[in-house]
Amino acid sequence: MNCLQAEEYFSAHFEDALDYETLQRLGEHLTACETCQQEYARFQESVKVVQQLPQIEPSPYFMPTLLQRIAEEQRGISGVKGISTADWRQLLDVFRRPIWAFSGILALILAVTGTYLSQDGFLFDRDSRSAAVTSEPEQIRVVTPPVEIRRTVGNGSQFRPGGVLSTPARPLQQHYVLKQVSYANASTGGGL
Amino acid sequence: MLDLDDELMECYQKGDEGAFTLLVRRHQQPLINFIARFINDRDTAEDLAQETFIRIFKAAHRYKPGRAHFKTWMYHIAKNLCKNEIRNRERRDKYKVDNVVDSGSDGNNQTEKIDLIANAPANSGFQPEVELERKELRNAIQKSIAELPEQYRLPLVLRDLQGLSYDEISEVLELRSGTTKSRINRARLMLKDKLKPFI
Ligand SMILES: [Zn+2]
Repeated sequence: MNCLQAEEYFSAHFEDALDYETLQRLGEHLTACETCQQEYARFQESVKVVQQLPQIEPSPYFMPTLLQRIAEEQRGISGVKGISTADWRQLLDVFRRPIWAFSGILALILAVTGTYLSQDGFLFDRDSRSAAVTSEPEQIRVVTPPVEIRRTVGNGSQFRPGGVLSTPARPLQQHYVLKQVSYANASTGGGL
Repeated sequence: MLDLDDELMECYQKGDEGAFTLLVRRHQQPLINFIARFINDRDTAEDLAQETFIRIFKAAHRYKPGRAHFKTWMYHIAKNLCKNEIRNRERRDKYKVDNVVDSGSDGNNQTEKIDLIANAPANSGFQPEVELERKELRNAIQKSIAELPEQYRLPLVLRDLQGLSYDEISEVLELRSGTTKSRINRARLMLKDKLKPFI
């Protein structure tokens, strides 16, 4: 047996899978050849370290994402791919960078503070919020009132009791807008 | 007599959906490890492992418990998905003009991926120097495995990291037993040489 032939039996020898005759011939070569002795020792060592590599743990997203994809398959949704594990990881990785993490936290703080202040009346009180509504008539203005309403509103007598139409001399369309707003206010107050 | 995987597949075929979830739980970690070691990318490994389970799920009604081996079937599907992924990457890299610039400027992706694998928890108490050496060795092992030609890398990962028998590996890779054995021996010899500075 020469060195190249001896090498061919390293794995089988390592796994105790050699027949008696081959084992004897290899043994004779290893005893006589120092190079192969050393090479076999390193072979054993390298196989062992590879086999001892630690196992990778599945990420916490693995199972939920898979079950979601299976549910989609069951519902017959084909070609629709949910958010993959890699997508989740990528999304979270963005916030590992300090600048993004800082921006994210800052945005969150601003959003929470803004919501809190607006709800608690710090930024708007009830009246000014109503004013804010009446001051943006663009969306309503595109609606043209029916002829009979234009006629009734036009003389300014019908809606005056509501207190909204204080100046009957205003253009027709403006009156109509204000009338709409007055109804809106009435409904939020629980009247209509 | 059916093994546990086959029993679970049979239960699933009879309508027990929980049996499939159990199958996934049994095999998710080995499968992710196999794919991650083979393609050297942990994130994609999870996606490909999911894809493998989806394919198994879709073909489950055709599976014949007792005739095939669930484990080898699973690895066979995963192997094909990995090969496709590698082929797609090679194609992408071939046409990626700024490939070199990317890998240089973006924190060295390759190293990052290897580090993820190397950062797995150690067994003993924390000793910085020992830990560093261990990490270096793990990185070197993972890098050396990744550098092996595919035909040697696949059987080596299945044998030394997944613990499959030679017969199972031959079944997964559709190789004759002698070819499987000689490829694994060749792969180990290559690794031994690559790891020479560390061992
Ligand atoms: Zn020799």
